[in-house]
Amino acid sequence: MKSQISKRELVLGLVAAFGLIVVIPGLNAFTPESSPLHVSNFSINLWGQYLCLAIVAVGLDLLWGYTGLISLGQMLFFSLGGYALGMHLMLKIGRLGQYKSDLPDFMVFLGYPKLPAHWVPFAEFWFSALAVVWVPGLVALLFGYLAFRSRIRGVYFSILTQALTYAACLLFFRNELTLGGNNGFTDFKTLLGFQLADPATQRSLYIASAIALIAAYVFCRWLTLTKFGKVQRAVRDSENRVLFSGYAAANYKLFVFVAAAIISGVAGALYVPQTGIINPSQMEPSKSLEAIVWVAVGGRGTLIGPILGALGVNSLKSWATQAMPAYWPLLLGGLFMIVVIFAPRGIVGLGNQVGALLQRRKSEKTEDPAP
Amino acid sequence: MKKFLHLLSTAALLLAGSLTCHAADSGTVKVGVLHSLSGTMAISETSLRDVLLFAFDEINAKGGVLGKKIEPVVVDGASNWPLFAEKAKQLLEVDKVAVTFGCWTSVSRKSVLPVFEKDNGLLFYPVQYEGEEESQNVIYTAEAVNQQAIPAVDYLLADGKKKFYLIGTDYVYPQTTNLVLLEYLLSKGIPIENIGGGLRKDAEGKVISAGKYTPFGHTDYQQIVAEIKQFASSGDACVINTINGDSNVPFFKEFAASGLTAADCPVASLSLSEDEFRSLPTKDLVGHLGCWAYFMSIDSKENDQFKAAFFKWLKSSTVPGIEKANRVTCSPMVLSYDGVYLWKAAVEKAGSFDVDKVRTVLQSGTITFDGPNGLNTVEKNNHTKKNVYIGETKADGQFKIVKEFSQVYPQPWLKGTFGK
Amino acid sequence: MEGVGVLFARPLLCFCGFINEMRNSSVSVILRFLAVVFLATGTSAPAMDQYEQRARALFVEAVVAPESSQSLLLENLVGSAHPCLEPFLQGWQREQIFIYQSPEGSKIPILKVEENQSVRILRVDTGEELKEASGSLAAWNPEWKAVETNSKIRRSLKNTIDLLALGSSSPSDRAAAALKLGLKQSPASLPVLESRLSQETNPSAKAAFLDAIALVSLNSENPDQRTSALQRLGESASLPARDAIKRLADDSTQPPQVSRAAREALQTIDTRIFWIDFFGTVFRGISLGSVLLIVALGLAITFGLMGVINMAHGEIMIVGGYATFVVQCVFGNGLAFAPFGLSMNIPGFGFDPSSAIYQSYFLVALPVAFLSAAATGYVLERGVIRFLYRRPLESLLATWGASLVMQQLFRLIFGPANVPVASPEWINGSLNVEGVLMNYNRLFVIVFAAAVVFGTSLLLTKTPLGLLIRAVMQDRSMAGCMGVPTTKVNTLTFSFGCGLAGLAGAFLSQIGNIGPGTGQTYIVDAFMVVVLGGVGSLTGTVLSALGIGTLDQILQTTLRNPVIGKVLVLAGLIVFLQFKPSGLFSAKSRNLEES
Repeated sequence: MKSQISKRELVLGLVAAFGLIVVIPGLNAFTPESSPLHVSNFSINLWGQYLCLAIVAVGLDLLWGYTGLISLGQMLFFSLGGYALGMHLMLKIGRLGQYKSDLPDFMVFLGYPKLPAHWVPFAEFWFSALAVVWVPGLVALLFGYLAFRSRIRGVYFSILTQALTYAACLLFFRNELTLGGNNGFTDFKTLLGFQLADPATQRSLYIASAIALIAAYVFCRWLTLTKFGKVQRAVRDSENRVLFSGYAAANYKLFVFVAAAIISGVAGALYVPQTGIINPSQMEPSKSLEAIVWVAVGGRGTLIGPILGALGVNSLKSWATQAMPAYWPLLLGGLFMIVVIFAPRGIVGLGNQVGALLQRRKSEKTEDPAP
Repeated sequence: MKKFLHLLSTAALLLAGSLTCHAADSGTVKVGVLHSLSGTMAISETSLRDVLLFAFDEINAKGGVLGKKIEPVVVDGASNWPLFAEKAKQLLEVDKVAVTFGCWTSVSRKSVLPVFEKDNGLLFYPVQYEGEEESQNVIYTAEAVNQQAIPAVDYLLADGKKKFYLIGTDYVYPQTTNLVLLEYLLSKGIPIENIGGGLRKDAEGKVISAGKYTPFGHTDYQQIVAEIKQFASSGDACVINTINGDSNVPFFKEFAASGLTAADCPVASLSLSEDEFRSLPTKDLVGHLGCWAYFMSIDSKENDQFKAAFFKWLKSSTVPGIEKANRVTCSPMVLSYDGVYLWKAAVEKAGSFDVDKVRTVLQSGTITFDGPNGLNTVEKNNHTKKNVYIGETKADGQFKIVKEFSQVYPQPWLKGTFGK
Repeated sequence: MEGVGVLFARPLLCFCGFINEMRNSSVSVILRFLAVVFLATGTSAPAMDQYEQRARALFVEAVVAPESSQSLLLENLVGSAHPCLEPFLQGWQREQIFIYQSPEGSKIPILKVEENQSVRILRVDTGEELKEASGSLAAWNPEWKAVETNSKIRRSLKNTIDLLALGSSSPSDRAAAALKLGLKQSPASLPVLESRLSQETNPSAKAAFLDAIALVSLNSENPDQRTSALQRLGESASLPARDAIKRLADDSTQPPQVSRAAREALQTIDTRIFWIDFFGTVFRGISLGSVLLIVALGLAITFGLMGVINMAHGEIMIVGGYATFVVQCVFGNGLAFAPFGLSMNIPGFGFDPSSAIYQSYFLVALPVAFLSAAATGYVLERGVIRFLYRRPLESLLATWGASLVMQQLFRLIFGPANVPVASPEWINGSLNVEGVLMNYNRLFVIVFAAAVVFGTSLLLTKTPLGLLIRAVMQDRSMAGCMGVPTTKVNTLTFSFGCGLAGLAGAFLSQIGNIGPGTGQTYIVDAFMVVVLGGVGSLTGTVLSALGIGTLDQILQTTLRNPVIGKVLVLAGLIVFLQFKPSGLFSAKSRNLEES
C-alpha cells in the first residue's frame, strides 16, 4: 500500500463515492421502472446490505492486513451492534405487532408479564446508537486486554476468537437471555419516525451505508498513514522487534482490535433495518470465516481489496445459491483454496503477481546465455 | 489503471445485479417453494420440496391451473432464518410468485411473516406448530395444538400416565406448546411436581418456561436421559418430545442404550414422522407414540393412489440430488400436497390468481380437498379441519394407528383457555 | 413334595374355576396364583399333563379372540400359568406369533422360532412342528401376518409375564417382578409376596421381596406397620419407592412417628440419589472426555506436531463415519447411491442382521475407517497443505475451504440427510453398579480411547518413525539437514493424524448422527482441547479432554441446563489461557517465537 495518497487515488475515490452515493440512488428514485437503467428497490436493499458487509471487511483488513491478527469472530461484534439497534426497533413496533401488545411479539408468546429492566432504556434512539458503539467496543476491550496482555499470538488468538463467537452464539440462542433466542428480532416497523417499508427509507439506509463505508475507508486509510500505522505494520511483520524497540505492542493491538470491533458494530446496526431480521445464527463461526474469505479473496492489506472482495463474493453467492445451489459450496470452497494457495494477495494483488511472474520470465529469458 | 478497472467492474456488477429480473412467461404461473435444502433441517424439508414438485407435475399433466402451467421457483433457505427472509423477499418482489409453499420451523415462518404481510403474498404452511397465530397472509394446513399435542396427551392420560417429562428444542414451537400443555395438564389435575424437565419462573412466580430445552443440533443427551430414567422409576411416567431435526437421533440412541423401553416410559414425539424415523434405531423404539393428521399406514383408496403415484414419479425424477431409495410419506408431506390442491381449488373458484380474491374464497369455508389423509376443509380462521390419528411405532419404522379423531376443528388460540 | 403340591393344587383349581365369573377380582387372580405357586414347587410333569394342556388351550383362546377381549383373556392366563407359556408370551410381544389357516378352515396359532439361519414353526397347542396335510413339515410363508399388539395388549402381556416372572429361574427377573408388583401397592399381593419370600434363597431377590412387601405395607391401616415399612425402605435406600415415601412424608394427617420415619427414609434415599448422580456424572464426564479425546487426538498430532491447523478435521472424522456406514451396508443389503446423477450400486453380502458375522461389522469398519480417513488426509496434504507449512494461518483458511468442499461432496454423494448406522448387539445395554448406569458403548469408547492414546504414545516414543516425527516437530529445517526425509515424514504424520480422526468418526456413529454437517459440531471443542492441553503434548491433550468433559458434565448436572455449562467451560478456558497461554503442558523451547 502506498504511503501517501496520490492524486489519482483521490480522484478515483471521489468518483466512486459519487457513484455510490448519488448516481445509484438517483437511478432508483428518478428513473421509471421500465427503463433499463432503473435500479429496483430490491437491488438497492440488497446492495445496501452488501455495503454493510464491506464495512466489516474493511475493519477486518485493518486488523489482519495491517496488524497481522486474524480474528475468526468479527461477526460477533457485527451482531452485537445489530442487536443493540434491533432492541430499539423492537420497542418501536409498539402495538403494531402480531399480538397488538406493548411488549415485543416474542415476549408475548413466551409469556413474559412485563418488559425486563435492561430493555427499558433502549426505547430511546440515542441510547441505542451509543450502545451500538460501546457494547461491541467493551466486549472487544475486555477480550483484547486479556488476550494481548498475556501475549497470545497468531493461531491461538484466532482460535480463541472463534471460541468467543461460538460461546456467544450458544448463549444468545437461549431464550432465557430475553433476547429472542432463536427467533431473534424481526417485524420492524419504523426507525426514527420513518416507515421501514417505504422505499425512500430504504434508499436513505443505502446512502447511510455507503457513507459509513467511505468513512470507514477514509479512517483506516488515514490511520495507516500516521506513525501509528507504521508501528502497526511493524507489529504485523515482527512483534518481538517492536517490543524490543520499546513500544507497548499490546496497546497498539488493543486499539486496532477495538476500532475494528466498533466499525463492525456500526455495520451491523446499519444492516439490521435493511434485512429486517437479526438472529444468533449471525454469530456462528462460519459467518466470521466468510468475512475472512472476502478479505482474502479481495486482497488483504490494501483496504480496497476487501471491499471488492465483499461485494464480489456476496453477489456471486446470491447468484449461485439460485442458479446452482447444489454446487455453490464447492465453488466457494474451491475458490478460497485456490486464492489462499496461489494468490495470497487476492484479486487486487493478482495483477502484481501476474506482472511479477511475467517480469521474472522475461528476465530469465534475457539472462539465458546464448548458445 | 488497475484501480480504475476494478472500480469499473464493481459498477458493472452493481448494474448487472439490478437487471436480473425477467418477465414471466405468459402461459405459466410462478409458484414459490421455500424450504431448507441444506443444513440441520434438510433432513426433514427436502421431502417437502419433493412432494411439492410431484404435485405440480401432477397438476400440469392435467392441464395446470386456470389453463396455465405451474412454474416452480425453488429456493434454499439453508436452515438459516435470515436467509429465509431474504429468499421470501426475492420470491415476492423479484419473481413475483402467485403463492408460496414453504417453511417448516416456526422460527422460519416468523422470519418470513413480515415479508409476506408487507408485500401481501400468500404462504401455505404445512407443519404442526404451536398456534397463537392467525396471519391473513398464511393458510395453515398444519396441525394446530388441539389437533396434535392435546390428543396425544389425552391418550397418555387415559393410559394411566401421571408424570410428564417435557423436552424440546429451544425455540418458539416447543416453548409455546409446552406452556399450553402445562396449563392443560394442571387443569386435568396433574400436580406441578409431576411435570419434569424444570420450570423457570419470573420474578413474580409465574411460569415462563416449562421443560428442558436443547439447541438445534445438540448431541449430548446423557445427563438428560439419566434424569428421565430417574423420573420414570416410579413406573407411570411418559415423555413429551418436541425435539426438532436430527438431534432426535442422539436422544433416542441414548434412550435405547440406557435400557428404557416404551413399556417403562413411552415417548410421544410431536416432531417425528416416518421420514425422521428412517435414521433411528427403530428396533429399540417399538411402542412409542406419534400423533399426526396422516400416517403412511392409513388404509384408504386415496392414500394408496397417492403413494403409488408419488413413488412412480420419484423413480423417473430428474431433480438433482433427489433421494430415490427408501422413501416414505409423512404428514407434513401430505399436508403440503393438500395445500397445493386447496390453492388450486380456490384459484379456480375465484377465477383469478390475485391474493386478496383467493383469500376471500378460502375463508368462505367452501374449499375442500379429499386427500390421502381424508377430507380437508379450509376454515374462516385460515386453518384446516381434518382428521387426527394417534399411532404407535413399529419395528419397521411405520406407525400402527391406534385411534382416530374424525374432522377436528382447528383452534389456534389455546393459551389461557383451560380454566380449572 | 411334588405329590403334596399337586394334592393341594387340584382342589384350588376347582375352587378357582368356581369364581371364574369374578374375572376382574384380584382375589381370584391371587388365589389362582397361589395355585401356580404350588404347581411350580412341583417338578415338571411328564410329556404334557393336563395343566400344560390347559395353559396352552387358554393361550390359543386368547390369540384367536377378537382384539377387545384379548387383554382380559391374557390376564386370566396367570391363573393357569405354566412355564411353557413364557416363550409364547414373549413371542407375542415380539410379533413372532402367527395364525395359520389350516385347509380345514381352523385357525392354528403358531410360534416362529429362528435359530442359526433356520426357521422352526411350532404349534402352540401341541408344541410340535407344524405339518401340512400331507404330513411334511410346513414351510415358512413370508405372507403370514403376525398377531397384532397394541399398548393395552402389551400391558396385559407385560403384567402376565411379570407375574409369571415371580417364579422365574433367574433371581434378577424375580427381583424385578417383585418390585413391579410392590409398586402397584395393592394389599392383595401381600400373601403372594410373603409366600415367595419364605422360599427365596437368593439374597438380592430376597431383598427385593422385602422391599416390595414394605411398599405394599406403606398403605397399611396400622401405623406401626407403616413405620417399620418405612424403616425397611430407608435401610435398603430403595429408589423406586421414593415417590410413595414422599407422598407419606407430605401427608399431614399421618401420626408423627410415621412422618418422622418417612422423612428419615427420604433423606437416606436422597443421599443415595446424590451419590448415584455424583458417580454417574463422573462416568459421563469421563465418557464425554474420551469422545473429545479421540476427536482431538488426531488434531493434536497434526496441529501440535506439525503446526498445521486443519479446519477440515471434522469432515475427515465424518469420512470415518461414512466408511462405517458403507461397511455396514456391505455386510447387509448393499448400498445404492447416486452421486452427481450417476447411479451406483455396491453389492452387499446379505448377512442376516442377527448373525454373528453381521454383528462383527463394526470391528471390520474400524480399520476401514482409519484407512479411508488416512487416504483423504494424504490427498489433502499433497494437494493443499504441503504448500502451507510455513504459513500456519493460511493452512487454517485453505483447510476451511477444503471442509466446505468436503461437506458438499458428502451431501451430493450420500444425500443431505443423516445416514443410519445401527449399533451391533454386543454394544447395546448397560452395566449397573449400585444404581449407576454405565452404557456399554460408552465403556467401549473409554477403553478404546485409552488404547489409542497408549498406542500413539508408544509409536511416538519407542519407534524410529516416532523419533523422526518428533525431530521434524522440533525443528523442521534442522531435521532436514540431518537427513530426515521431511516431506515423507510430514505426509505420514498427517495421514496418521487423519486416520485417528477417522476412528473417532467410527465411534461417533455409535452415539450420534453422521451427516454432512456433523463435523462442524465437534471442531471448536477439538480445538479448545488441543489449545488447552498445550500444543505438542499428548499428556496435555488427555488431561484437558478429560478435564473439559468432566467439568462440562458437572456443570450440566448442577445447573440443570445443557448449554450454559458449555458456555461457562468456554469462558473458563478463555480466562485460563490468559494465565497459561501455552496450555497445560507446553513444549519448552528457547525459540523466541514460540515462547
